[in-house]
Amino acid sequence: MAVCAKGLDRILFSTRLFQNLRLRNERSISTSLCRLAPDEKPTKFTPPPKPVVMDKTLTAESLRKFLSPEFIPPRQRTDPFKFYMERIDMIRRRKVLTIPEFYVGSILAVTMADINASGKINRFVGICTQRSGKGLGATFILRNIIDSQGVEICYDMYSPRIQKIDLLRFEKRLDDNLMYLRDALPEYSTVDQDMKPEPFSLTGEVPLNDLKVKMLPKPWSKRWERPKFNIQGIRFDLSMSEKKMEHAQKWAKPWDEYDMLKEYDTSKLEQEILSEVQQEMSKQG
Amino acid sequence: MLAWSSRCLLHRGPRLISLRAAAESPAHLVGCFRTVNTTIRFDEHLTEDNQEYMRKSMAEEYRKQTTDKLNPLKDEPWPRHEWTEGSQRVGLVAVKLGMAPIWMKTGEKHAVTMLQVQDCHVLKYMSKEDMNGHSAALLVGGKNVSPFYRSDEEMEMFRNAGVPPKQKVTTFKVSDNGIIKPGTPLFAAHFRPGQYVDVTAKTIGKGFQGVMKRWGFKGQPATHGQTKTHRRPGSSGPVDAAKVFKGKKMPGMMGDVYITAHGLKIWRVNTKYNVLYVQGSVPGHKNCVLKVRDTVLPNRKSSLRSLPFPTYFTEEEGDLDEDLYEDNVFIHTDQSLSLT
Repeated sequence: MAVCAKGLDRILFSTRLFQNLRLRNERSISTSLCRLAPDEKPTKFTPPPKPVVMDKTLTAESLRKFLSPEFIPPRQRTDPFKFYMERIDMIRRRKVLTIPEFYVGSILAVTMADINASGKINRFVGICTQRSGKGLGATFILRNIIDSQGVEICYDMYSPRIQKIDLLRFEKRLDDNLMYLRDALPEYSTVDQDMKPEPFSLTGEVPLNDLKVKMLPKPWSKRWERPKFNIQGIRFDLSMSEKKMEHAQKWAKPWDEYDMLKEYDTSKLEQEILSEVQQEMSKQG
Repeated sequence: MLAWSSRCLLHRGPRLISLRAAAESPAHLVGCFRTVNTTIRFDEHLTEDNQEYMRKSMAEEYRKQTTDKLNPLKDEPWPRHEWTEGSQRVGLVAVKLGMAPIWMKTGEKHAVTMLQVQDCHVLKYMSKEDMNGHSAALLVGGKNVSPFYRSDEEMEMFRNAGVPPKQKVTTFKVSDNGIIKPGTPLFAAHFRPGQYVDVTAKTIGKGFQGVMKRWGFKGQPATHGQTKTHRRPGSSGPVDAAKVFKGKKMPGMMGDVYITAHGLKIWRVNTKYNVLYVQGSVPGHKNCVLKVRDTVLPNRKSSLRSLPFPTYFTEEEGDLDEDLYEDNVFIHTDQSLSLT
């Protein structure tokens, strides 16, 4: 039995060697061909270009259609031409600086020119807790805990001081505003400063992280249980009694969803602007 | 309809009086008479199709007039004069679009107001004699409107200038060498980045307001024995004067008055869409029509040298860039700032 096994091993080993040889041969042939072609003196070594991994299944149609929320004009009596003028500048800036698609709850790293920082460059990693502003004045807030001290930085998205925006983790949370992380346990807003970017897909749905956070004892900066915040991502059962949660519903405005004056359907507007932005971004120069 | 109803009242009036008996004086009835409006609306005797045709054709004609800068006055342009110290140029009528941020090359951020110059034309020249011997002036109008609701007297000036009627017409005092022929279009490139301007507009009306909001008075404490005295003005003057001085700040109507914001810097000019980017905020609400002119501040006058005089003509400087920037302004097509 043992002899048999040994023989089999040998056979396998020899086949592997043969494969290796064949591979080596192939490589040698290809390289020699390459080197023979230019019959000049050897120039300085240049590393071969990195292989570009192209996923053939990715087509323009299957890619996620995404329009950054600051492109959608607010509902007001401003001339739409004003937003068009701002859009021109926003697209110009986006051609120079790549602003990735991200959501509240994603983890970002922003490299920014800072006159007071050592080396005049500051890199901050944090979880995005809020996006606000429309047009050129759009901002986002990154939050992290550094030396057990909560730090939040509000970045102007189109500021020329921003050098680079890296997307480290791509996900959504249950809420569109994570300001309650100020009153939550610090572990929920702590991000490693040397975090490596995680891979994410460009197609399909945005991954949703349905994490519910535990809060610090009261008082909080705001009464997050009130219906106007409509917060899903807090474990209220740990910090508030059933009776108090019921009491908070006193401030509910169930008629608001039927208020036709507050309706603002942007789907059509969004499509128009998206096609305009895509067309402009594809232009060179 | 109006005429008919009033006539009916005239016919029936005496009968009513007779019914009411002579005890009541006839003078009582004077209040019932209504004046008959003799003006005819433009669409009164037109069918709907004709109305629509009228609107379309007029709009088309006016669009052509403004885009081709068509001027029915075929005679030669007026002679041009050189700029001298103390010359005063004409200003512009612009529409306030809203506010936006702008960044400098040093990395700091400023708020700017975007003003668009829409269909701005010189309408009329007023000589020194017309202006009571003070200074020559030019009437300038901006933002085209419908001609159908204007009277003939109002329309005469626009017809003479060969331009569509305007929403806003203002007077700009100019020096004698800065006069321009009526019908000349004015563009945003009349102002250049780096210069200072004054912007005049009607502020947002706030209604009847108390002294705390209107004049910034302190008011009185909320507690410590105050009775019915929290936001009131307090004393209105000394006792021995035995009167209230004229001009005493009191509650009243606030806003809705013309205000000038002086010395605003122009950071950027878009010549394609005629947009001015002016430092800071300007009076007036969004989409209001306002008046922009070279600054009168003596310390900012030095920024007014080397400007197009008497105005910018497209035929002369047709090769202007689409965007003109002040030297310190960051241009969005440039690379990010490094601040080294």
